[in-house]
Amino acid sequence: MEFPDPTKGTLTEEQLVKDLQAGEMGSFEQLANLYQKKIYTLSFNLTRNISDSQDVTQEVLLILFRKGHTFQGKSAFSSWVYRITINASYMKLRSRKKEPKVSIEDVLPAFNQGGFQYEKIQDWSENTESLLFGNETRNIIQKAVDLLPDKEKVVFILRDVEGLSSNKVGNILEISIPAVKSRLHRARLFLRKKLSNYFWEYKARKERK
Amino acid sequence: MICCKECIELLYSYLEGELSAENETALEDHFADCPPCIAFVNTYRSTTLLCKNTLKTNDIPDTVKIKLKEFVDKNKPDVL
Ligand SMILES: [Zn+2]
Repeated sequence: MEFPDPTKGTLTEEQLVKDLQAGEMGSFEQLANLYQKKIYTLSFNLTRNISDSQDVTQEVLLILFRKGHTFQGKSAFSSWVYRITINASYMKLRSRKKEPKVSIEDVLPAFNQGGFQYEKIQDWSENTESLLFGNETRNIIQKAVDLLPDKEKVVFILRDVEGLSSNKVGNILEISIPAVKSRLHRARLFLRKKLSNYFWEYKARKERK
Repeated sequence: MICCKECIELLYSYLEGELSAENETALEDHFADCPPCIAFVNTYRSTTLLCKNTLKTNDIPDTVKIKLKEFVDKNKPDVL
């Protein structure tokens, strides 16, 4: 029987769950290495707070240490990690002062009565390369995401940032696939509008100089 | 011809490749004649890309990494 070197290489999730179940030496460090960045970034994107995200990461790791070995499935394992991370992050948010709700309704361009767009719409998509690395743009993007209502935000982060499938997101959040899709679409429309307003101002500022 | 509003409603499914052939043709016919909708699609797509690239790069700060390492060493269960 061969023992994998726990300090070397990256284990697949499947192998890791097996090691945990077998009480393999080193599997807890592996577990932490494999998941702590995922847990931290997800929590940070939901709470936008370093110390909250550190707390959440520790809480979740502790749960994994204590209960990880009881886990049966493999694909469900990461869903479970995401789910407890989201719940722990929401607990943090709940203890904070409530921020005023933002309307997500006003996200479409202006239409005439026939349903056609009549405003000039700026296509900033080709300039994103040069804009992306500025700190100002980064801040604007983070602020825009923070403004999303929780329901839309968590779907957007899991689906578009983490790159999970609609199926998996539905499974993690225990909502239907059509609900995943409509929340994601609304989140993207909302963010597109916010970014468009920003790039519009940005361009106007550049031209004034 | 379908209008811009309908196009934006169908946009999500279009990008996922989930539209019926008929709707897909209707949408593409519309795009051919409607620069504002082309700009809309491009910026809708870029929104996802920009946000993803920005939020993905939020790495764990070094100070937190050190704390997490200490935490793991202290709290990992004893095996064997
Ligand atoms: Zn149009």
